[in-house]
Amino acid sequence: VSLLEKFAPLAELRGALAASGSVPSIATPMDEVHSATEAIIDGRKVLLAGTNNYLGLTFDPECQAAAIKAVQTLGTGTTGSRMASGNYAGHRALEREFAAAFGWPAGIVFSTGYQANLGAISALAGQGEFLLIDADSHASIHDACRLSLATTIRFRHNDPENLARRLERLGEDAKRTLVVVESLYSVLGDRAPLRELVDATRRHGAMIIVDEAHSFGMYGPRGLGICAELDLLDQVDFVVGTFSKSIGGVGGFCVSRHPEFELLRLGSRPYIFTASPPPPVIAAARAALQRLLHGDDLRAQLWRNIERFTAAVTRLGYRTGSKDPGPVTALVFDERATAIAHWQGLLDAGIYTNLMVPPATPAGLNIVRISLSAAHSDAQISRMVEAFESLSKRLRPAA
Amino acid sequence: MADSADRVERVVREALKIACPDIGAVTGSTHLSSELGLDSAQVMDMIMEIEDRLDISIPVAAIAEAHTLDDLCASVRRVAGEA
Repeated sequence: VSLLEKFAPLAELRGALAASGSVPSIATPMDEVHSATEAIIDGRKVLLAGTNNYLGLTFDPECQAAAIKAVQTLGTGTTGSRMASGNYAGHRALEREFAAAFGWPAGIVFSTGYQANLGAISALAGQGEFLLIDADSHASIHDACRLSLATTIRFRHNDPENLARRLERLGEDAKRTLVVVESLYSVLGDRAPLRELVDATRRHGAMIIVDEAHSFGMYGPRGLGICAELDLLDQVDFVVGTFSKSIGGVGGFCVSRHPEFELLRLGSRPYIFTASPPPPVIAAARAALQRLLHGDDLRAQLWRNIERFTAAVTRLGYRTGSKDPGPVTALVFDERATAIAHWQGLLDAGIYTNLMVPPATPAGLNIVRISLSAAHSDAQISRMVEAFESLSKRLRPAA
Repeated sequence: MADSADRVERVVREALKIACPDIGAVTGSTHLSSELGLDSAQVMDMIMEIEDRLDISIPVAAIAEAHTLDDLCASVRRVAGEA
């Protein structure tokens, strides 16, 4: 098999996904984007229900104004790493603001959410140390483990006892172990049993980092996430998050209750060897963070939308990937063809969602994922519900 | 350590059966990915089943080069200290 011949199965997968209609379900071309909830796809106006724009801040007027002002006053990019010429006042201020929001002494901003995991995890655990990661971890966590020289061991998804067993086997080495979990898993929308995972970690003297990519902004007091909601911030060691979801931009952060975390800047390759985020990105993120922290109104609207939508799909007989309603609703189908038919049917009805199929999904599941936003109006939620009511008559929800 | 080697192979085959229930005949040289069509998620599930049954933790790197059933058995034996 040559270098390129090994991609043949991917070509088959792409062909199968494209066969259902004129618009590809992966890398779907967005011709225009008009608002946090509306775009043009294949020449038609569609309602966006497959983004991570949970608070709808991509079009927030204050965030937009902050970005425009930053472009005009500071330029379009930094052209340098944080360790060189790319260490602007805005970057430093945003880090202080994130750390202050958590009441912690240390915070670092990364150029993407992917790099936040890569940079924090790969630097925190090195040679002779251990990483214990949830088996359903995001690719950025798996890649961070590859970059780290630590020994990586997986534990069963959302299984605190399985984690505890692995910590026990490590014996004294557990004290040189970083446990890596996500608070909300984005494919199925299921929450981690964080309290139990934190208990197991602390009982064995290990440290824990929690990725709040899909929960920061939507859960807990001031939207600080599920660790804060569960009052675990005095027990969790590091929280990592992204700007490309509730913050509505691009970038990532990691905060810690350990002041030594600041030293990671000198040892994290994904932090050092990349350009820092452009000024407009940082300016918009700073405005978005303040809006998020004072965004109880946005959270109230989002959770109203979640309750309405979840109640409707449950009533229609759809199987969901999680028993906990949340901003991500994964509709699970046994057959790939049924999932594809639903995705296409929704798009035909003017609603864009995400289609996810194996091997990108856990347990070989076929999924249509719906992401809700605070920017969705009551009328838009009604449109989604009506589309599912119509589809469920034509396609069996459980198949 | 013939008993241990046999036990490891038995457990690996049991785990394979769970990860891939419709599996046919498998020899030691059967390629897990190209011949059995196991994807990375199925291999991960299989490894965790082996870990639970043998009460060991298998580092991800320890099985990175395990392409066949024999490779996998050898890797597991090394981790279990039985090779």
